[in-house]
Amino acid sequence: MSDFSVWFEETFKECYCEHRGLVDEKRFTELVQVILDNEADDKSRAIFEHKIKTCIKSSNCFEDEKCIQEAIKDKLVEHRSVIPNDLAQSIKKSINL
Amino acid sequence: MSEESTKKYTEQEKGEVFNNEFMPHVDSMYNFAYRLTFDEDDSKDLVQDTYLKAFRFINSFERGTNAKAWLFRILKNSFINEFRKKSKQPAKVDYNEVESYYNSDDVDANITTDLRVETVQHMIGDEITGALNALPVDFRTVIILSDLEGFTYEEMAKILDIPIGTVRSRLHRARNMLREKLTGYATEMGYN
Repeated sequence: MSDFSVWFEETFKECYCEHRGLVDEKRFTELVQVILDNEADDKSRAIFEHKIKTCIKSSNCFEDEKCIQEAIKDKLVEHRSVIPNDLAQSIKKSINL
Repeated sequence: MSEESTKKYTEQEKGEVFNNEFMPHVDSMYNFAYRLTFDEDDSKDLVQDTYLKAFRFINSFERGTNAKAWLFRILKNSFINEFRKKSKQPAKVDYNEVESYYNSDDVDANITTDLRVETVQHMIGDEITGALNALPVDFRTVIILSDLEGFTYEEMAKILDIPIGTVRSRLHRARNMLREKLTGYATEMGYN
């Protein structure tokens, strides 16, 4: 088992109480972010997906996190700086290309 | 970075690599530089300096590999090693203190991330960019690399010279810090 899988499983377990209810939303969001960033391996993703299908609190937490992350990304992307017109040319000029 | 003794590319090939693999990333490079320096002239200088170094060390670049990550790594190192020292915007905080605080285990307990989806949707890009710019540079950097430039954790680990687990935890903390700032801002503006 990879270091990542071990970390994911252990963190996942710590998010839930003995009755399998979500008790640590802050830690859970770290797992959600890893999933949303497409960085989880197949095994970890399967564990996660099974849980959000069966636990409403986990599912809501996932959806909220997903929407917030997408909204922040979209607004940051649309707010990019204006590139100076002459930048590419002056770079090429500086190395005689 | 060391210059290789053997010549790998002809002069013509160097031009091709530079034009076809390096130059397409100039916009991303400028945006990254601007989000680090907050100054147009400084950003331009930083990008030009990066491209000069890229050309100088072009023989250590493998054609067809990830040119964007390679260039970002050079830019990040230039910013940290040389540029930040002479920057018009000196660091206002001791980064080591900030990092040790934010890497401590109990920091998450102090961060409230009670941010609602609708609140973010009501905000404009300026407000979110302002909150991002207020983060310490190394936390701001991971958000830029991941959420704006789309680098993977592995690529970020190489660009930043840190373990992949550190990328993951720093990114999580950076996002929490950003949300904390947005929550504070929303409360101030009466969005909540």
